[in-house]
Formats: sequence, C-alpha cells, structure tokens
Amino acid sequence: MSEDRTRILGMLAEGKITAEEAELLLDSIGTPAGETGTGPEPSPSAEWPSGPSGTGTPKFMYIKVTGKDTVDVKVPLGLLRAGLKLTSLIPPQAMDQISESMGEHGMSIDLNNLKPEDIEELIGSLREMEINVRSADGDHIRVFCA
Amino acid sequence: MTAYLPPLVIDVRVREPGSRGFRIWLPLFLLWPPLLLLLMPVVVITLLVDLALLVSGARYHHYTLLVLNSLRLLAEVRGTHVDALSDGSLVKVDIY
Repeated sequence: MSEDRTRILGMLAEGKITAEEAELLLDSIGTPAGETGTGPEPSPSAEWPSGPSGTGTPKFMYIKVTGKDTVDVKVPLGLLRAGLKLTSLIPPQAMDQISESMGEHGMSIDLNNLKPEDIEELIGSLREMEINVRSADGDHIRVFCA
Repeated sequence: MTAYLPPLVIDVRVREPGSRGFRIWLPLFLLWPPLLLLLMPVVVITLLVDLALLVSGARYHHYTLLVLNSLRLLAEVRGTHVDALSDGSLVKVDIY
C-alpha cells in the first residue's frame, strides 16, 4: 500500500476526515495495480514513471516529495531547453550583469559559453540523473527526468 | 507552429476535508488575442531595431529572436502539472 493511501486511511481512522472525503482523496491519488478504480480522475502521478528513463531524450522533469506533505511536480524539459536557448539571445551587456549577479549568489556559471549543442547534450544526459534527498524529519525528495 | 502556442487553460482543483472542493478552469486563451495585437507592433519595432543594428555593424542584433524565443518559453509551460497533498487538502494544477 502506498504511503499516501496509508496516510489517508490513517486520517479516516482518526476521524479527521469523513469516509466520503477519504474516498475522494483515494480517487485523486489513483488506484494501485490489481485494484479496480471507480474514481473519475485518477492522479496523473500514478501513471508517472518510477525513475529515470535511461534511454531516449527525456521529456519531463519529475519532482516528487513524500513525507509529511506530498508534492508531485511534472515540468516539461522543453521549458529548460527554451530557457537556455533564450540565454544565448540576451544582449551581452545584460548577460554580463546576470553572470555577475549569479556569481554574487554563489552560482559561478558563465552562460555566455553555453552553446545550442551543449544544451541538447545537457538535456540528453539528464535521462541518467536521479537526485534522492532524505531529510531528518522523514521527507523524501526525488528528482529525475524521463 | 504549435511550438509557439501559449498555454490555453489552467485547470485548478482544490479539495479540502469537510468540503466538496472546487475546480476552476482559467481561460488563458482569452488573454492572448489582445496581447497578440500588442505583440505585432513590438515585433515590427524589434525588426527595425535589428535591421538598424545590422546595418551599423553591431555584433548583437537579435532583439526579434529574443521576443520570439520568449514566446517559445511561454509555450513550453504547457504540460506542467503540480499535485500537492497536505493535511487532507489536495491541490492540483494542470497547465494545458
């Protein structure tokens, strides 16, 4: 049983939510394999890949936070691609100021050196990236691309 | 051309314990026609500026591309999904 389902059933057992609310929440987080779903809108996160794709060009970046709160975010990698391409079109004077400002904030990245082929290589290599963070208070953050 | 299609709708769903929750479709597509009318003169101006910079021999003459790529950036927001569950409250945001 998933952590979300356990939490929802726990809240139901403690009387924090009604059976109807529990049903709505269970519907929204999706149906685990093997069960027949009756909810009108299973959560898209239930259909998300469980980890990095490993092959091909990744299409989305997935950020999953579990613990006290549960947060699932899916961001199109096209956004990253378009953003990086945009940096190559920023006027040089503005770019120098941006680089300087980023440097002051601990991000010493010279975006002037970023070429379109580097962007594709960067995005392609994201398919093998996986970030796992477990905090002391039990939160688990996963970031991967697929 | 769809690469430049901006987000058309934001779907927000909120469910809280003790209430049935609600769902809002924010029709962003209503914003784009007036903004397109504003954008057209902007693109014409940037084209003229770029042409002037090119003729004067300036190394940088990409203001039109900058504007068009900003639109591309906006268009790439489509497909974003956020799903948050906290203390029984559920918030879902989808950008189409």
